[in-house]
Amino acid sequence: MNRSILADMLEEEYEILEAEDGEEGVNILREHWKDIALVLLDVVMPRMDGFGVLEAMNREGWTEDVPVIMISAESGSAQVARAYDLGVSDFIARPFDAVIVRRRVMNTLLLYAKQKRLMSMVEEQIRETERHSSLMIEILSHIVEFRNGESGLHILHVRTLTEFLLRALVHKTNRYKLSDQDISRISVGSALHDIGKIVIDEKILNKPGKLTAEEFTVMKTHAMKGAEMLDALEEQQRDDPLVRTAYEICRWHHERYDGRGYPDGLAGDDIPIAAQVVALADVYDALTSPRVYKEPIPHEKAVQMILEGKCGAFNPLLLQCLTENAGSIRQELAGGASTDAARRESQNIVKQSIQAATGSLSASDRTLRLLDYERMKHGFFSAMTQEIQFEYTVSPSMLVISAWGAERLGLDEFIPAPADDEKLRAVLGDDGWPEMSAHMRRTTPEHPDIHYESQIVCGGEPRWHRIMLRTIWTADSPPRFDGALGKAVDIHDTHEKLAALENRASRDAMTGLLNRAAAKERIKLRMEERPEGNYALAIFDLDFLKTANDRYGHQFGDQVLKEVARRLVHSVRRSDIACRAGGDEFMLFLEYNTDLGKTVDRIFHSLCGPFGEYNISVTMGVARAEVTGRDYERLFRAADTALYAAKRSGKGKYFFYDRSMRDTLSALSDIDGETEEQGK
Amino acid sequence: MTMQECYQAMGADYEDVLGRLRSERLIQKFVLKFLDDGSYELLCRSMEEGQIEEAFRASHTIKGVCQNLGFTRLGQSSHDLTEALRGGKSPAADGLLEQVKEDYRQTAGAIRAFKQSNGL
Repeated sequence: MNRSILADMLEEEYEILEAEDGEEGVNILREHWKDIALVLLDVVMPRMDGFGVLEAMNREGWTEDVPVIMISAESGSAQVARAYDLGVSDFIARPFDAVIVRRRVMNTLLLYAKQKRLMSMVEEQIRETERHSSLMIEILSHIVEFRNGESGLHILHVRTLTEFLLRALVHKTNRYKLSDQDISRISVGSALHDIGKIVIDEKILNKPGKLTAEEFTVMKTHAMKGAEMLDALEEQQRDDPLVRTAYEICRWHHERYDGRGYPDGLAGDDIPIAAQVVALADVYDALTSPRVYKEPIPHEKAVQMILEGKCGAFNPLLLQCLTENAGSIRQELAGGASTDAARRESQNIVKQSIQAATGSLSASDRTLRLLDYERMKHGFFSAMTQEIQFEYTVSPSMLVISAWGAERLGLDEFIPAPADDEKLRAVLGDDGWPEMSAHMRRTTPEHPDIHYESQIVCGGEPRWHRIMLRTIWTADSPPRFDGALGKAVDIHDTHEKLAALENRASRDAMTGLLNRAAAKERIKLRMEERPEGNYALAIFDLDFLKTANDRYGHQFGDQVLKEVARRLVHSVRRSDIACRAGGDEFMLFLEYNTDLGKTVDRIFHSLCGPFGEYNISVTMGVARAEVTGRDYERLFRAADTALYAAKRSGKGKYFFYDRSMRDTLSALSDIDGETEEQGK
Repeated sequence: MTMQECYQAMGADYEDVLGRLRSERLIQKFVLKFLDDGSYELLCRSMEEGQIEEAFRASHTIKGVCQNLGFTRLGQSSHDLTEALRGGKSPAADGLLEQVKEDYRQTAGAIRAFKQSNGL
């Protein structure tokens, strides 16, 4: 109710998400923190109190982006201090005053917005410079140095000087409305001023001594050629502000302030300021640097020559900038090639001071964008791979499932207290979560990975999944188990295929019944799993099959065997284990409740009987585990003995084993051994 | 019965709440909502069951609501009870609970009377 009073005060201006308690609050933050402008946080709450929420926010790094105003009724100063330490921006006291609440909320929002904007501006600038310099300088140094060994350094000098002059100019006048970004752009663009020289004949370009009139005419074309090169760029690049600036510089860096320059004869401020500055820088550096045709001229003399108008006509304001800062200019250029390093250094300093002031740069928009990108990528790939991905945190105990996974399993994406979650239990099975917990607890920080297979219910159908987990540990010593990342891959189809293969290996090809080895395994397993059952084993073989084979051929004999198998399957329950033991011998293992005699009699008679013109007849020996003990070998030998006894007494009948037969011989020579005699 | 008279009947400070919430509509909305808030029932139940932490939170909530709505009398007694339950039950708690119950009955009674007389 206190919450709804607050909501009522703010809902006109803001969109509000309410949380019942601390845990719900953390869940909402986990999902929406990027979109949350402000948290109003109560201290006393069920499940997780306000300080718990603050700690979670700190742990996740949300406090840097999401300001928190704490609601305090009576908090002592120790509590207040602790709250500030945990990153709380402000407090609202109870009872609520509508005006104060609205004001506090707005102030905090404005403050955060301003800080964010400033940070992103500073960063944007750093990034812009970095991007431009690394890209442009590299291209140019390569091209121009390739053509002319001297110009590489020239470009650096012009650039340094251009930046320097522009800064001095901004200091002097607001006439050209130059932002820091403009200055950076012009300085970088200055490196392009001579790109047109690439089309000038190398003989003219590097000619020692004075150029002839014709040669000079050719030389002069480099300004327009450079501009044309930039203009020939793709539209998208052509419209880039840096390219526009570079275009101005290339085309007009040989214009004169008095209008007597080339190629267009522009005068005064019709010449873009970028070109004016670069022209001056160009001339100054040409004078003070060695060239193939001249020795370097000392700084003072160069400045004097420029002022006297011997090397062109310049904007008087720029000339002032040059003379007034002569000393610093010399110093700046002496730094020469190290300017770039210095620049990077200064950028690092800016970065570090931002980091110091705000805790870290992780709050920046750029990082957010990267994070967003990662999130999108993760979402995309996890949807593509059709895997159920999940994260588990120990404290607060929480399972987070990927969107695709949650939909696949029909679960919520966020499951607090997974150990007690009924829906999760239905999906994983009763032992599912305890099993997973046990697996996780068995890992160590050195060996955090674990794989196992388990059934998970998808769309009401239990399917086999391979579960892969990596546990996460804290940096404490000793490390504490902190949670896990994991995924579950549906391997049901593969699993089924394997099961089918296994099935094939355990079947007799002709009759489709189990083969003896498989039957033996199952019988043993059954008696182990359910030792309380009453079990019996029957062994029977076909009478006179050899006669049938002789008379009707082997194919007919096979038909008889298949028919017997069919009759056998029809007369027993699915849970009974029927098998073709080899040749014309069959085996049946069954569990009985009351009257085994009746059951055996029924089965025996359903096996016998005419098959076409042929009359199928079998002889059978039966042994009960009750008599022999629940041991496969003994049970088998007993049934075998009974069969032998039945045969001796004249075939076509069944005998139950009793102890009086103990010393009788076996009917089947070595049926259970390696050397089996086929087709008896 | 006006809202002001209702406040009088429950020993509450109407001027205070009007000064803060600045809207009669808002006050009425929340005063009426007060009857639906389950914190009082939760308090009584958890006291009976000896769930002291739960009782503390419920009492704290009542106290907060009272502060916000200017229910001075119930606010005071629930404040005392909250303190008596903070970090464990003190001997005074049972007596203070009785006071809270009495003040709550009075407060809720006044609100119901207001509701009835205004046909709400």
